[in-house]
Amino acid sequence: MKEQIRKKRYQVELGPPKHDTEKLEADLELFAQKYRRCLDSGYTVGITDNAMGLLAFQGAETIEELGLPVKPDQVMIHLNTFHTKENLREILESCVKLGIRYLLIISGDGSDRLPKLQPSDLGVEGQVEAVTAVELIRYVHQQYPGVFEIGAAFNPYEPADHEFEKLERKLAAGATYVITQPIIEKNAVVDEMIRRYPGLTVFVEAWMSKRISLLSEAVGYEIPESTVFDPLKTLGELHRLYPTCGVYLSLLGFKTQYHLLDGIWQ
Amino acid sequence: MKIVVCIKQVPASNDARIDPETKRIVREGMKAILNPFDTYAIEEGVQLRGQFGGEVIALSMGPEKAAHSLREAISLGADRAILLSDRAFGGSDTWATSYALAKAIEKIGDVDLVICGKQAVDGDTAQVGPGIAAHLDWPQATYVLKVEEASREGIRVRRMNENGYDVCQMGYPAVLTVLKDINRPPVLTLKGALAALKVDIPVWKPQDIDADPAKIGLDPSPTRVVKTSPPPPRNTVTKVIQGAPADCARELVKDLRTRGIL
Repeated sequence: MKEQIRKKRYQVELGPPKHDTEKLEADLELFAQKYRRCLDSGYTVGITDNAMGLLAFQGAETIEELGLPVKPDQVMIHLNTFHTKENLREILESCVKLGIRYLLIISGDGSDRLPKLQPSDLGVEGQVEAVTAVELIRYVHQQYPGVFEIGAAFNPYEPADHEFEKLERKLAAGATYVITQPIIEKNAVVDEMIRRYPGLTVFVEAWMSKRISLLSEAVGYEIPESTVFDPLKTLGELHRLYPTCGVYLSLLGFKTQYHLLDGIWQ
Repeated sequence: MKIVVCIKQVPASNDARIDPETKRIVREGMKAILNPFDTYAIEEGVQLRGQFGGEVIALSMGPEKAAHSLREAISLGADRAILLSDRAFGGSDTWATSYALAKAIEKIGDVDLVICGKQAVDGDTAQVGPGIAAHLDWPQATYVLKVEEASREGIRVRRMNENGYDVCQMGYPAVLTVLKDINRPPVLTLKGALAALKVDIPVWKPQDIDADPAKIGLDPSPTRVVKTSPPPPRNTVTKVIQGAPADCARELVKDLRTRGIL
């Protein structure tokens, strides 16, 4: 991860096809094109896990089924707590088989149609009431010692004391890098995190959609739909503000923005 | 054991529009999904097949694009699928729909068990399963939350009622509608979804199932929706509890108990 930052290589978020797609084969083809393009650019692909609670196919199974190449430094699989124990085992075994080293473990967004890992699934019954990213990070390290490098999420829009306490537990469980929620300007809580953990590998998330109002829920206040937002300009500004951090790009436009990324990270 | 699972494709969104003239859901241009309750019906069929052998057949009535949900049923373990699709079926209410499905079940032949989800999330009527049983004159158990015992001769199920549970023993053939407590459906896999794309799904017309044209479609449907309106807005009041965290928690618990929520 640190090497990717040194080389100024982005992390790019990709969502696998959703279960309800009516054009699965076309969606898979598009996914494969984007995936290969990122790898060819030297970027890291971050593949989501039922993002927003919307049912989608798993990253590892998609890579496997499509026969896509895996460059261990350039593929990161998101893993949340909404799985059965058996699914979890299958996902992790697929990652091992494919040579995927990076995981981003998050609590995740559930849905009525998704199962949830239970404390007994991870052998922590009686210790916690619900499985969070902390228990899952620890479990994966216990089951696969030395196999994965695991990242965790950091939300600067949550009450800071609470978020720092959670971060402390995630790091104690074995997380070695952090990806923030999207930030669009200097953020005091992110600054504090960098100050408190100077050796920690941090990626700030850059929101690449022009529709900044979609961020309202994440940031906890209403952003009017009429707000004009220039994602590429903001990306440049984030590099200036956070020169030691990597950048994770969400909702990147492959047709309209990708070719403009060259040269922004100076 | 030959098991038919009846499924329905429903709008993916809660923001379904209602046609002001027909009072029916406007399905054109709307993203559609397999009715979530039906996934439990499919899984129950798959589990019974695992116990007794045989096959699970997914059956649906709807437009051609409903084949997508039938493919999902195959991905989830059904062996094959059949779609009833024809203009003549359009506008059928729950009675006409259950008639058509019953005719299809007769055509499939030698069916031991029909399993439906407890209801579809668009109409929320919970009438089609019982309607099928009525048309076929088969015993039924609705709101089943557990199969207590199944054998080649019959099935004993626990069903929920308003006051508790009933335990029903039935011989075959029979109809069940199931609750989501009954099992945990598997998560769809990409391998399964791709394999299902290759499966041929036959489309049956009214004449294929010997359906009486006077019993299907809008006109013969006895239900008339005369008015559809959204529920009245809820009058919510926000109460802010202030003070030390422990005091706030105590106050919150007290308030919730007063309202009978806890």
